[in-house]
Amino acid sequence: MNLLFSGIERRLITLLAVGLLLCAAPFVQAGDAEAGKAKAYTCLGCHGVLHYVNTYPTYHVPRLGGQHKEYLIAALKAYRGKTRAHGTMQANADLLTDQDIEDIAEYFASQGAE
Amino acid sequence: MIKLKSVLFAASIVASGTAFAGGDAEAGKAASATCAACHGADGNSTIPTNPKLAGQYESYLVEALKSYRSGARQNAIMSGFAAALSDQQIADLAAYFSAQKGTLQTVVER
Repeated sequence: MNLLFSGIERRLITLLAVGLLLCAAPFVQAGDAEAGKAKAYTCLGCHGVLHYVNTYPTYHVPRLGGQHKEYLIAALKAYRGKTRAHGTMQANADLLTDQDIEDIAEYFASQGAE
Repeated sequence: MIKLKSVLFAASIVASGTAFAGGDAEAGKAASATCAACHGADGNSTIPTNPKLAGQYESYLVEALKSYRSGARQNAIMSGFAAALSDQQIADLAAYFSAQKGTLQTVVER
C-alpha cells in the first residue's frame, strides 16, 4: 500500500510519464539540416557537381536536392546494409551513424527547387 | 556488293543503337500508369518513402531500374515491376519521368 499516491493517482502518473516519453521520441530521431549540411560535404564531391557522371557503368549521379527525406534515409541505410550495390556509396554509408543519415537526409530534402 | 552490304549492316547497327539508346517519352508516359500509383502521375511522389522521379537524370533512372531488375538493388516491390521491363521500356520510362517538372535539383556547394 502506497501512502503517498492512491491507485488512480499512480495510474495517472504512469500515463503522464508514458505520454512525455512519446512526445520526446520524435525529437531524438529528427534530422538536423544544419548539422546535415556540414556532414554532406563529402557527398557534394559528386552530388554537388552539375551533370557529374558515374563511370563503369556511365550514368549521371542523381540529383538529391528536394528528394524525400524518408527515401534518402532508406537509400543510405540500404547502402550501409549492402542491399544496394555501389562500392563508393557503400564505403561512405559505412561511416555514417543513424543520426548522421537523418541529418544528411534532412539537409538534402530541404534543398529542393520551388 | 560486299562493300555495300557492309555499309548497310553498319548503318543498321548505328540506327538500332540510336533508337535503343534514346527513350521515347511518349511511349514512357503510356507505360507509366503502374509507376504512377506510388510515384505520382508526373513522378512527383507524395509518399515520403517513394522517391520523386520528376526531373531526375534520365541515365540515373535507367541505371536504377536495371539495378532493381538485376537484383543489385534489393527491393521487393521494385524488383517485381522491373523484372517485367525490357531495356526499351526502361529507356522510355526514364525519358518520360526525367522530362517532368519537379523539385529535384543538384545541391551545389557554396
